[in-house]
Amino acid sequence: MKLARSADDEAFRKRLAEFLEEHCPPEARLSNDFIASSEAGDDGVVSIPCWARKWQACLFDHGWMVPGYPPELGGCNATPSQTLVYFEEMTGRGIPRSLHFVGYAIAGPSLLEFGSDEQRRLAPAAIRGDTIWCAGMSEPGAGSDLASLSTRAERQGDEYVVNGQKVWTSYAMLASKCLCYVRTDPDAPRHEGISALIIDMDTPGLEVRPLRDISGHAEFAEVFFTDVRVPAANLLGELNRGWQITIGALAHERSGLWVEGVAICQRSIDDIVAMARRRGLDDDPVIRRRVAELYARVRGLRALGYKGFASFAQGGSAPEHSLMKVATSELQQELVELALDLQGASLAVTDPGRSEEGGRWQRSFIKVLAATIGGGTSEVQRNVIAQRVLGLPRGS
Amino acid sequence: MDFSLSAEQEMVRSTAHSLFEGQCPAGLLQAAWDDKRAAAPLWDEHLYQWVELAGADLVDLVLFMGEHGRAAAPGVFFASLQAAQLAAPTGLAAAGSATVAVAGENGLWIPHDGNARHHVPSAGDADEILWVAGSLAAPTMALVPTASATLTEVDQLDRLRPMYTVELAGPPRGIPVDPTAFAHAVDRALVTTAAELIGTGRWLLETSVEYACEREQFGQPIGSFQGLQWMLVDAALLLERADAAVTYAAMCVDADDTDRHRAVHVAKAEAGLAARSVARTAMQVHAGTGYTFEHGLHFRLRRAYAGDAFMGPSGYHLDRLGQLLFSG
Ligand SMILES: Cc1cc2nc3c(=O)[nH]c(=O)nc-3n(C[C@H](O)[C@H](O)[C@H](O)COP(=O)(O)OP(=O)(O)OC[C@H]3O[C@@H](n4cnc5c(N)ncnc54)[C@H](O)[C@@H]3O)c2cc1C
Repeated sequence: MKLARSADDEAFRKRLAEFLEEHCPPEARLSNDFIASSEAGDDGVVSIPCWARKWQACLFDHGWMVPGYPPELGGCNATPSQTLVYFEEMTGRGIPRSLHFVGYAIAGPSLLEFGSDEQRRLAPAAIRGDTIWCAGMSEPGAGSDLASLSTRAERQGDEYVVNGQKVWTSYAMLASKCLCYVRTDPDAPRHEGISALIIDMDTPGLEVRPLRDISGHAEFAEVFFTDVRVPAANLLGELNRGWQITIGALAHERSGLWVEGVAICQRSIDDIVAMARRRGLDDDPVIRRRVAELYARVRGLRALGYKGFASFAQGGSAPEHSLMKVATSELQQELVELALDLQGASLAVTDPGRSEEGGRWQRSFIKVLAATIGGGTSEVQRNVIAQRVLGLPRGS
Repeated sequence: MDFSLSAEQEMVRSTAHSLFEGQCPAGLLQAAWDDKRAAAPLWDEHLYQWVELAGADLVDLVLFMGEHGRAAAPGVFFASLQAAQLAAPTGLAAAGSATVAVAGENGLWIPHDGNARHHVPSAGDADEILWVAGSLAAPTMALVPTASATLTEVDQLDRLRPMYTVELAGPPRGIPVDPTAFAHAVDRALVTTAAELIGTGRWLLETSVEYACEREQFGQPIGSFQGLQWMLVDAALLLERADAAVTYAAMCVDADDTDRHRAVHVAKAEAGLAARSVARTAMQVHAGTGYTFEHGLHFRLRRAYAGDAFMGPSGYHLDRLGQLLFSG
């Protein structure tokens, strides 16, 4: 236990800062909370702007996309503590890595962990963002209860024939590949009849219907499968062992997201302090106390992150991820509430010219409502924590 | 204190309920989101006549506004009603639709001079503008045609009730208003706004409870999970408390009771906090389904936050209340 950062970590921070100085495009420096950076067409369907694609590739090529990975996967073999330095530097400057997290945070790690040699070769492009991925898990009848999913895949010769529907599939209209969970054995116990397939989005019979979210933009979609034929070689991992991959996929999603989550909270605090000053509220003891309360929580979580990160950093399905996910997602929401409250009667104003930071907090408000839903709701995370961290008995 | 409804009051409530159920369906909200003009028939054909409630007992108006808030009704009715209530002490009455231009940038209804007014609801759809100037001690009012003003729409979360900045090249000469009558009218406006928030919260709570009974996961209704039950119970506690506080405030204003200053701030603060909190709970209960645009939930969520902001957010009203409590 010691406070000072190691010389290696300091050197790492300096190298990163130099890289950003030299390569980071102005568009990437402007984005707050990584939101409102994707563009939406007249139909509301979002797209990934050109600069964001180039930026992700640039990060990958220089070993700054997922620092913990080796260079061929877009990293620089960073240690866990260096990875934390990375998130703090990036988020502190408001620089996003990517505008679509499924490829580098879910598909990439799953392919690397469970894929055949050939499938593993898809990982670099997923992480570099050359291939956009979506994750087909949720269905209309299977959200929190993912194991009840009913999209069917039947083996016919050397193909699987897929029928069913996915919903709320982020980036499905932009993706060229889907990591899709299907039922391959309807007679087995629920968790033992699920498999993961890699499905090309342009396969005949696959239809994507963009679904507008509450912002009015379509960032997710419904995906319909009608006799979609998928080569048997696209099975990821073992047949009927897909549940292990879903657990892995959710953990990958969480492990990345929570660390970034803490860093986003830290940045929000800094910005809230600045806003309070701008609005002449910095002498108000009530405001000071509310900011301080949330600051204390952010710092506590940050310290907890450093404490725990080394042990549960590299993927895996550590239930501690759930703890951090709940804590950071709910904290983000409270920070946004405070930021809105600081704006008084203008708290609902979204007009870029008439609101703090161009309406950033109002957009954040809409966005972070999803933080306690996507990737497993807070309630379900609490169940996981209760049973797997605290060791409480299962309910009926 | 008697909270039971008279037969006439029960009529107001149920008439309002069927009016909005019939004339303000979910499809209208979607349409009005894309194009404000879609809300025009609701006003032209139905709601214009209800502006009369501006002269009714506040307890009756609260019942109507609860239903208005439940429906998240779009359009100019809310602004017209507020204009009619505020103008009541002067005898000024708009012939058609109207809105109120009183607030400064801080959103508070404190009369002041100058050429601009902010947070003016639905100005783009109003025929006339009630222009308030002067000061709290010596307020003045005038009705001016909207055509004579410069309007700038200021985008906000609740697109079903757009807000404007309104400017006049030469402010009109207003009629002086008795400051006590003005304060009374502002109290009515606050309780009206609070009552609408309660209705919005009511829809959010009821819809969430229904959904929790219908939606099944893990082979049982999600409403059978205690984690979810407690969330909904907490939401109900907040809302019921706020609802009663709003009705109480309405009774105080009607009776010109000495407790009315405090009661009005309690009502607006509690209603705003409750509506915002219930909206967040509703989103959490509906999860992915609630996060889609097609679901009506987000219209109420937006209304809850915008309604809290209107005439000053809950934080402001709690600060005012604090001043009242400690100044003797
Ligand atoms: C912005 C966004 C992006 C998304 N992107 C994707 C994606 O890319 N791919 C994908 O597959 N899915 C995606 N989802 C879907 C997401 O994973 C689901 O919404 C989530 O898992 C919850 O499922 P549900 O919406 O069906 O809610 P439900 O499971 O129906 O839950 C409804 C409510 O019941 C509660 N509940 C359920 N079970 C329990 C329990 N046992 N105990 C206590 N409470 C319980 C929940 O917490 C919630 O409050 C996305 C969702 C959002 C909002």
